[in-house]
Amino acid sequence: MRTKLNGLLTLLLAFVVHLSFAQDKTISGTVTDADGLPLPGVNIVVEGTSNGTQTDFDGNYAISASVGQTLLFTYIGQKEERRTVGAGNSINVQMEEDAQALEEVIVTAQGIKREKQALGYAVSEVGSEALEQRTEGDVGRVLTGKASGLNITQQSGLSGSGTNIIIRGFSSFSGSNQPLFIVDGVPFDSGTNSVGGIDGDDDDDFIDGNSGSSRFLDLDPNNIESVNVLKGLAAATLYGTLGRNGVILITTKNGSSTGAVKKNEITVTSSLFFNEIASLADYQNQFGNGFDQAFGWFFSNWGPSFERDGVAGWINGVDPDPEDGFDENGTLAHPYSTASSATGIPQAFPEFQGVRYPWIPYNSVPRFFKTGTVKSNSVNIRGASEDGKVSYNANFGHLDDEGFTPGNNLRRYTIGLGGRAILSNKFTVAGTLNFSNTDFRTPPVAASTGNGALNQATGSSVFGELFFTPRSVDLIGLPFQNPIDGSSVYYRQNNSIQHPLWTVANAKVQQVTNRVFGNMSLTYNFNDNLNLLYRFGLDVFSENNINQQNKGGRGQPNAELISGFYQTWNNTNTILNHDLILNGDYDLTEQVGMTFNAGITSRREILDRNGVASSGQQVFDVFRHVNFANQNEIQFFRERNIAATFIQADFDYDRWIFLTLAGRNDWVSNLDIENRSVFYPSASVSFIPTTVFDGLKSEKGINYLKLRAGLGTSANFPTGFPVATNLNINTQFFQDEGVDIVTNSVGNRLGNPDLQPELLTEFEVGLESRFFNNVVSLEASYYRRTTEDLIVDRPLDPSTGFTRQQTNVGEIKGDGLELDLGLNLFSSPDEGGFNWSVNGNFTTSNSTVEDLGADTDIIVYSGFNDIGNAAIEGEQLGVLVGTRIARNEAGEFLVDSAGDYIEEQGQFVIGDPNPDWILNVNNSISYKNFNFSFLLNYTQGGDIYSRTISTLLGRGLTTDTVDRINTFILPGVQESDGSVNTKQINNSTFYFNNVLFGPDELGVYDGTVIRLQEIALGYSLPKKFLDKTPFGSFSITATGLNLFYKALNVPEGTNFDPNQAGLGVGNGRGFDFLAGPSARRYGISVKATF
Amino acid sequence: MKRIFKKFGSSALVATLLLGACETIELDLADNPNQLSLDQSSADLLLNSIQIDFATFVELMGQNGADLVRIGYLNGRNYQNITNLSPVQLNLEWNIAYQGDNAESLDSGLEVNGILADIRALAPEAEANELFRHTAIAQFIEAYTIVTLVDFFGDVPYTEAIQATAETPILNPNVDSGASIYAAAQALLTSAIANFERDVVNEPPNDFYYNGNWGNWVKACNTLRMKIYLQSRLVDADAVGNFTAIVNEGNFIDETSEDLEFQWGTNAILPDARHPRYADNYTPSGGSDYLPNWLMNLMDEGDDPRIRYYFFRQVNAVPGEEIPPDEENLACSLEPTPQHYTDGGFTFCTLPNGYWGRDHGQNAGIPPDGFLRAVYGVYPSGGIFDDSRFEGLSVGDGGGGAGVTPILLASWVDFMRAEIAMLADPSSGEAFVLAGLSKSVAKVQSFGSLDSSADLSFAPTAGAVTNHSNNVSTAFTSADDDGKWDVLAEQFLIALYGNGIDGYNFYRRTGFPTTLQANLEPEPGAYIRSLNYPADFVNNNSSVDPKPNQTIQVFWDTNPASPTFPIAN
Repeated sequence: MRTKLNGLLTLLLAFVVHLSFAQDKTISGTVTDADGLPLPGVNIVVEGTSNGTQTDFDGNYAISASVGQTLLFTYIGQKEERRTVGAGNSINVQMEEDAQALEEVIVTAQGIKREKQALGYAVSEVGSEALEQRTEGDVGRVLTGKASGLNITQQSGLSGSGTNIIIRGFSSFSGSNQPLFIVDGVPFDSGTNSVGGIDGDDDDDFIDGNSGSSRFLDLDPNNIESVNVLKGLAAATLYGTLGRNGVILITTKNGSSTGAVKKNEITVTSSLFFNEIASLADYQNQFGNGFDQAFGWFFSNWGPSFERDGVAGWINGVDPDPEDGFDENGTLAHPYSTASSATGIPQAFPEFQGVRYPWIPYNSVPRFFKTGTVKSNSVNIRGASEDGKVSYNANFGHLDDEGFTPGNNLRRYTIGLGGRAILSNKFTVAGTLNFSNTDFRTPPVAASTGNGALNQATGSSVFGELFFTPRSVDLIGLPFQNPIDGSSVYYRQNNSIQHPLWTVANAKVQQVTNRVFGNMSLTYNFNDNLNLLYRFGLDVFSENNINQQNKGGRGQPNAELISGFYQTWNNTNTILNHDLILNGDYDLTEQVGMTFNAGITSRREILDRNGVASSGQQVFDVFRHVNFANQNEIQFFRERNIAATFIQADFDYDRWIFLTLAGRNDWVSNLDIENRSVFYPSASVSFIPTTVFDGLKSEKGINYLKLRAGLGTSANFPTGFPVATNLNINTQFFQDEGVDIVTNSVGNRLGNPDLQPELLTEFEVGLESRFFNNVVSLEASYYRRTTEDLIVDRPLDPSTGFTRQQTNVGEIKGDGLELDLGLNLFSSPDEGGFNWSVNGNFTTSNSTVEDLGADTDIIVYSGFNDIGNAAIEGEQLGVLVGTRIARNEAGEFLVDSAGDYIEEQGQFVIGDPNPDWILNVNNSISYKNFNFSFLLNYTQGGDIYSRTISTLLGRGLTTDTVDRINTFILPGVQESDGSVNTKQINNSTFYFNNVLFGPDELGVYDGTVIRLQEIALGYSLPKKFLDKTPFGSFSITATGLNLFYKALNVPEGTNFDPNQAGLGVGNGRGFDFLAGPSARRYGISVKATF
Repeated sequence: MKRIFKKFGSSALVATLLLGACETIELDLADNPNQLSLDQSSADLLLNSIQIDFATFVELMGQNGADLVRIGYLNGRNYQNITNLSPVQLNLEWNIAYQGDNAESLDSGLEVNGILADIRALAPEAEANELFRHTAIAQFIEAYTIVTLVDFFGDVPYTEAIQATAETPILNPNVDSGASIYAAAQALLTSAIANFERDVVNEPPNDFYYNGNWGNWVKACNTLRMKIYLQSRLVDADAVGNFTAIVNEGNFIDETSEDLEFQWGTNAILPDARHPRYADNYTPSGGSDYLPNWLMNLMDEGDDPRIRYYFFRQVNAVPGEEIPPDEENLACSLEPTPQHYTDGGFTFCTLPNGYWGRDHGQNAGIPPDGFLRAVYGVYPSGGIFDDSRFEGLSVGDGGGGAGVTPILLASWVDFMRAEIAMLADPSSGEAFVLAGLSKSVAKVQSFGSLDSSADLSFAPTAGAVTNHSNNVSTAFTSADDDGKWDVLAEQFLIALYGNGIDGYNFYRRTGFPTTLQANLEPEPGAYIRSLNYPADFVNNNSSVDPKPNQTIQVFWDTNPASPTFPIAN
């Protein structure tokens, strides 16, 4: 790829040829960087002349000059050096890195490298030092807090669970808002195939599918050289429709073979971390299982006190019948002796007959979890041939991440190879090949509203039956398995709760993914100004899913679930990508330079799912399909092709103003022929006042100022087959006298031949600046984005004959501000001196629904139909809707005669899940060989409908509910006569009837949270200790993740962590269905090179 | 060598581009390969779906109706906020009537497809191939479905329904008036009768209701017409005359052998063919629905010979009756009787003899009583015959779920005729009440054999049946006019166990019985005169608004507004 810089170089060389002076002598020498490594390509000119040259690959140069003349050495990212020619003939120069990095080159769309100053749009960069040696093996999570404009939510703290990445807020509510991943120049599937989503309908994936991994998990963060985030449309135009949500451009170490050191280098990183649950509630230890201070084997914890006496003392529940209530010692009959005999429990556990069960707090939930260990090793080897024309990189990574939940584990192997060769025949060949094997397993995590797994779920929920465990229930001590038939047994007398330990031992969700991805490119250089690149990218993964559970599950009506099931299916996902790009670099006049890139590209994506779902297990604990009575099919297929042409031209005038014009036309395969094609242009300009106005720039004032503006457009195409209306066939719809009845039925989706692509327009302005001797740097971007003709998965009234249709409606307008502020508080010129820098980034974004089309005023696009994220005109996109407290005309809450709130059915706005703003502050301190850094994250606002909180409160478990003496009077008026409500209700009535099972409005909490996202203390061995060892460098780092957080506006005792995606990875936000405990990680990592 | 490479390289490049890119630039991929296309439909298979969905629809609506007239248990102390009748909960019923969502199913696993959308899809093929029987069955089902929608919801979309693929697509269908939908149902039935009587070449391979007895289908059509006339008698002066005319023709369901009902199976998984109530309640954790104390008490006190078929008792005594109260499993057994229950003479919380159910409106949390409470018996859901075994149930027990959903029974027709007769002269209803009772008892008793494990020596003797009948007769004759209506209403409701649709209609039409157990909440609000519009309807259809509350009356209900009516609120 030719760059602007090389163009300048050509220019310089041309001058050299044409204008030569008489020279006195030849000066030669070597130019090295700060580490003493040779620097190739350093420009050297004799000041005041046009005489210049460049260093060769070994950093050597030779130039003619006269004594007294000055040689100027310049190189990107290094400070200028001047040397006056003296008596000697040799001048060796060691250059220093320039913190200003004025002419920093970064990778932009389609792998085009450009100077940062020439860009008219925002690009965030994250280097390898911020990605390596982290406690998380998921690159998405590692990016948290490291770039402005990004909002990253984890599905849960489970190792290997999905990660939601949103750049610049939501711009669509049916299309994906997840960014495009480009790895080493070619597309990389980063989707999340939730394990529960086997029916192919993404709408309800989250109900069972809170266990799927996001496929960027297949990348080893230790193998990443750098990550560039293209945030706006102007930046991403060349990626077309797929770039509309921003682009995460990842350059792996394998893909970055340019600039490889000549000397072979081996880097080894080895880490050991520990993984704990961070979001355990503060359980109270005063009251136990029961209701209204009376004991019972219930779900709830509103029972008697653990103390003998007092209003709620257990002594009140003493019963002469030993089977019933307490005895005088405060013990109960063992629950396995009194369970209904139809459960089979008393018969299966004769050992508990007559055994007394102590009435004490057992602290069960914390003991359920464990401390997992995370072991990570990676080796990277890189090198190059003597002449630098052939370079290679190879790496190996291994991660073994054990979750804090028993049964949760993530194991990953990665191997990668990459290399580049500049051939002597004007061809350059480069390629990478990566293989990963990821094995993720977890107990099932179906959504729960606080009573075990949701009824709609077709799997179990390990957390849904755990967090509400009453204090007096000995979860760990109560056997979980019936010794006779293996079924789940637990304390509830009709055995209607599945024991969480049974779930761990008998149910499993597993995804084993084998993935190959890589690219091969061939560049032909016509001349120094023109080259042609052909690049082929291939990304294939084969995700083998298992969802299984032994027979004997309890607590759900679904007969299939109880009978034991075994579902195995494979998702083979393929992306084939071809790019053919012509790159040119010309100077139009002496002042005006131009580069252009014109390309054609085609992309094919295929998801092919095949499998078998069996039920009716015969022999317990044997998971082979042959051991199951019924088999049902799992099959789904999706394909889409996108073909495109694109062109981009960059102009600069005297290197202080830069203009980029680009356009792309996409053709997509799954729309009707007249709606298939869409063209979208973009333009951006960068202006550098500090270059053009000499007076503006000063050492103590403004060091650098760049203003930029960009206008970008993009389009969003639907996935799937939105044009077609289908007929369903079901070969096992019913059975009549033993004969399976086959049915036909009109499909529920109404095809839409008129469906058009969604159009996005974005205007952004920004500035980049440095002040006060580079002590302060500030980068700011403001954007406005409009999405028109939104593709909506619109729910239809079933009386239309259909329940859903993809259609175009309305308009969303969004805007946002991103600030990156850097402060070099202390910057020591000496090596080993005290350095302290602070980098903060601030993000705020808004998306307002302007118009929903003529015939609808609300579209609930995520969650359930009644409670979910909605698009409502005039509201923020994604507001939470649900039932609310009924109000009278004056807006006062209505209370019924029992003193509880009256619930008003319907879809009322009950919260806004979008955070007001996000602030990340990273502090980096180094002194001598120590470095210390910590990253603080603050998220302001963002409502969350939390069933975890509702359940913990509603069932009387946390310290928030200890005070049970006081009564509540709900503010409001009596519905019957409008009088001010004076009806007293007790604590349990308030929490149980109103918070847990009342209006949805009462389950919404503010998600403001402050978090110590990362903290690290490192020590690198001084070079002098290493001289006699094979090591080039050796460092050791202690790291912690999420060591502290506090959600400021949730009930104190719930210790709730709002960073979770209860609706799975998708467009849903602000919901928690008891599936997202968060993790805390800490440990030690060692890195050595030799 | 270099030259060769260059040439080879360039041609390889071009070849790769052309061949490799070929499949990636194919742009005609709009057809969905995952399902069939509409032109591949089969009338037989569509009709299968329509018939099975219809049974599920009647079952669910029958449960809703039953809960409102105490032959089912209603959870909720505030009539405006009944959980099971919330707009979201009613989506399922709505969707079965019109169009089901993707892979929508009951909690137990039985799937639903949607009735009217499939009936519309069936029409062109049925017409082209002269499949008159297919059409006739569909017409009957459509008539029953739309009438039931009107009875429960009031005005609903009909003429503008299922028009999303019409030339002018309708995505926000307007409602039709209930009266016009009633008229449309009558027209459908007239056409259905004609279609049943025509000659056809291809009969439907599956008739899950009458197994190809087309004469019975005609009777069912006429009976449904009678039901529709009866329901509209308050607003249609000709209704009674039209009803009587059909009776006089004599071609309606008057024998139990002609009963219209759906037979469920025993297969539990893939598919779940069991009676939905059986599937929900015969689980490893015991029962999940409570049975209504009002009905159990009425039948227990009256020595009703059907009681052992209707309810299966898992224990022989309820805490607070023959045994001490139990705070854990029946908290109300320790609570004082509410004043309005004492005043009204209602039983509170407990019943003797192990009939463990719940009072109307009771909303307490669910204790672990799944193996203690009474559950559905052998009639109609195919459960266990109560032979005083007093054991916890097991999955698969009794009839294994091979029960029926009654839709139009000969016994009910007698009660309908009783109502017509009593309009003129209350005392003239007795013969019909006793005839209906007799048919009902005989039918219910025939279900005993469904539970092969049952000790049928506990079945009532012929003498007991006669005694019971005589008692009902005495009660009827000795009562005043309103009392006679109460007897009719009580006997009708008992006979309707398994499908409360006609009970809910009867109650709103007549206001009887006045003896229903009051809501546990002294101020539950006005009685539910029609159900909330389902959430999927009002949320997704901009032509309609949610109903303001539960007091909106359907078109044929011209009785006074609640709370004046009905008396037993």
